[in-house]
Amino acid sequence: MIKKYIIKKEMNVEFRNNTSLFLITPTMCVLIIVFPILSENRFRIDNDLFLIVELLFLIMFTTLFSIRNPLNEQQLIKELNFASINKTDYFYSKTISELVIFYPQVMALLILFSGFTNTSLNSSLIYICLSVLFFCVNAIMVNLFLQFFTSFNSRFVQFTLIVPIYIGFAILIAPLWLGVNQEISSIYLVMYLGITLVIYAFTNFYLRSTK
Amino acid sequence: MSLFFRSKNLTLGYGNQLVIRNLNISLELSKNYEITGRNGSGKTTLIMCISNNFIGNDFNSNIERNSNSVMEIGSIPSLIPKLSLIDNIEYFLHKENIDKKNILNILKKYELDSFLDDQIEDFSSGMVKRSEIAIADLKNPDVLCIDEPKVYLDENGIGLLNDLLKKRSTEGNSSILSSQENSSLLTSIERSINLND
Repeated sequence: MIKKYIIKKEMNVEFRNNTSLFLITPTMCVLIIVFPILSENRFRIDNDLFLIVELLFLIMFTTLFSIRNPLNEQQLIKELNFASINKTDYFYSKTISELVIFYPQVMALLILFSGFTNTSLNSSLIYICLSVLFFCVNAIMVNLFLQFFTSFNSRFVQFTLIVPIYIGFAILIAPLWLGVNQEISSIYLVMYLGITLVIYAFTNFYLRSTK
Repeated sequence: MSLFFRSKNLTLGYGNQLVIRNLNISLELSKNYEITGRNGSGKTTLIMCISNNFIGNDFNSNIERNSNSVMEIGSIPSLIPKLSLIDNIEYFLHKENIDKKNILNILKKYELDSFLDDQIEDFSSGMVKRSEIAIADLKNPDVLCIDEPKVYLDENGIGLLNDLLKKRSTEGNSSILSSQENSSLLTSIERSINLND
C-alpha cells in the first residue's frame, strides 16, 4: 500500500519545488516574529490570546501548505497510468510523504512561535505532539481526498472548501492545549484518533470503490 | 483473437458537448491501428479513452477493457518536470527490473545519455518526446498509443520511432497512432479509424 518509490519521488519534487519549503516557511516565520510586536508592542502576549493565535497560525500554515501545489487531475491520471501505479497506493504514499514534509515544519513553527512570544501551552509535550500529528494526518488526507475527487477551478475554491474543515480539526485541539486534566486530555486524544480512523476508513472505501 | 478494448456505441465528450458519437470499435492485441481525423474530430479524446486516461464524460458508454499494459504518449507529457531524466526513468520503470546497462544503452540510442541528470523542465519539447519514447522502448507495454507521433520530433527522432514501431510489430505488440492524415509510420495496419466520417 505504501510504496517507497512514490515517497522518494514526492520528496524529490518537494525538495526542488521552491514554492513550498522555501517560500511558505520563511513567510510564516516572519509573521511569527512580527506578530507579537505588532499586537502588544513587546515579545510577550497573553495566555488566552496565545492559544487562539497559535491555532490560527496552525490553520493558516496548513492551508498555505495544502494549496501550494494543487494536483492536476488529468496530469495525475496520466502519470499514474504511465507508471502503472494504482490510485490507492498513490494516495497513501502521498499522505506519508506529505506528513514527513509537513509535520516537522509545523512543530518547528509552533516551537518558534512559543519562543518568540515567551509564552507556552499548558499541556504536556506528548499531548501537544500527538494532537498536532492527528491534525496533520487528518488535514493531509482531507486535502488529498478533495483534490482527488474534485476538480478545483482555482486555489481560492480549494481554500474556501478546506479552511472550514481545518477549523473543525483545530477546535478539537483547543481543549488539549488549554491544559484540561489528564483524563479529559486522554479522552480528547482517543476521540481525535477515532476521527482519524473514520476519515481513513472513508477514503479507503471511496478509493477502492471508484474505478 | 484477444481483444484489449471493445466498445459499442462509444460516445465521449466534455460536459454536455459531444466529441465522439456512437463509435463501434474492437481492438485486438498484436495488431496496429491508426486514428485519423481533422482538428477537433476527437482523435486525442479517443486515444485517451483507449489508454484509460480520459476524464471527460463517457455518457455511460459500454466500455470493456482487458488488464493489458497500455501506455500513452500524448500531447501533454507524462514526465515529471521537476525530476531529472534518470529519476523519471527510475520512477516510471519501478515495476520492470531493468538492468542499468540496458537503460544506458537505450538512452545512448536515443541520444539522451548526456542528459541523464538534467531536469525535464529544462528539456525542449522534442527531447521530452524522445525521453517518453525511450521509456516506452524500455517498458515495452502490450499497447502503445501515440498522439500526433511526428510532432516535435526531428528526422532522426522520427527514424527512431519508426524503428521502435517495427520492433514492436515483430514482437507482437500493438501500436495505435493518431494524426490528421496517414502518418506512414506503421507498416501493417489492421484498421484505420477515420473520425471525419
